[in-house]
Amino acid sequence: MATIFAQYSNNLSGNSDATYRTTSFHESVSNIRKMHPEFLKHKRDETLRKGVRTEENSLKECINCHANTNENTGHYIGINDQGQFCSSCHKEVSVSVDCFSCHRTTPAEGH
Amino acid sequence: MSESINRRDFIKTSTAAVGITTIASGITLTTFAANKDPVKNNKRWGMLIDTKRLSGQEIDIMVNACKQEHGWGSEKHSVGDQKPSWIKKVKVKDRLTQKETSLPLMCQHCEHPPCVDVCPTNASMKRNDGIVLVDRHLCIGCRYCMMACPYDARSFVHEDLTNQKAHMPRGKGTVESCTLCVHKVDEGEQPACVASVNSEAIIFGDLKDSNSKISKTLRKIQSTQIRADLNLNTGVRYSGI
Repeated sequence: MATIFAQYSNNLSGNSDATYRTTSFHESVSNIRKMHPEFLKHKRDETLRKGVRTEENSLKECINCHANTNENTGHYIGINDQGQFCSSCHKEVSVSVDCFSCHRTTPAEGH
Repeated sequence: MSESINRRDFIKTSTAAVGITTIASGITLTTFAANKDPVKNNKRWGMLIDTKRLSGQEIDIMVNACKQEHGWGSEKHSVGDQKPSWIKKVKVKDRLTQKETSLPLMCQHCEHPPCVDVCPTNASMKRNDGIVLVDRHLCIGCRYCMMACPYDARSFVHEDLTNQKAHMPRGKGTVESCTLCVHKVDEGEQPACVASVNSEAIIFGDLKDSNSKISKTLRKIQSTQIRADLNLNTGVRYSGI
């Protein structure tokens, strides 16, 4: 697992804003690594069913920070593409991510 | 589902939700804070559509505004009835007088929605503020709701989709319909279709607020619900038909 997390940190280092926000935005990185499925599941119900629209634990915000851009073209790379933020761990542990059959994989247009 | 609000909660919400600043005389800046509190049932969103003031062309503009806002309508593999339609132009004709009227038809955001009654997984749901939605995290694509809806307002996604709008996730195997632009309403804005045509033709607002423009107008003019005989108490009302 250590190698996966090293790769995962590499993905972050490309985006200085993301590095800044990981330290200030998440209470503890190990906690979010372990608990993110529960956090996301709780938040999705709060947002969709109750209209609570905050940044914390919002999938949209995960993507806004953690999506990388292609060095040559400057275009965003899908967060679930091979070697990217979500798939680097999920592929290793063989857990499929269902989020992106509906959710957008890159930050919103003009973000 | 009823929810009572005690005095303390009410004060908390009303102070958190809206901050009003006076910049200069006559100009006020209203800022909406991020919605930290769940929506309450002290509001019910609705729409009044005056068909006399809407031309067929304007209804097409509304449909296109909806397509652009939510990203539907460019599905490549869906044919005929498979194509999604969140809002459509419907022509009605009085057989006796031959009078023809066009009207935009979308989810009517019923108080007693049949789609919610029939959903086996609770995916079809009504928010406390009256907006009827599909929770696609729970939707299994059985399409009972599509059969139950008297307005044919719902569609099923038949193909894999990519590049969805960030605020509107959509995917194969789930049902979808007009959300009353819930993402905009939560930010204090109007639905895309309402904003796309002249403000006199469609009034969007809170049906429970007796001082809102929609409530005042509904008190004054003759309006109707489509299929009022079903007693669904729709949130979308029409005048001029």
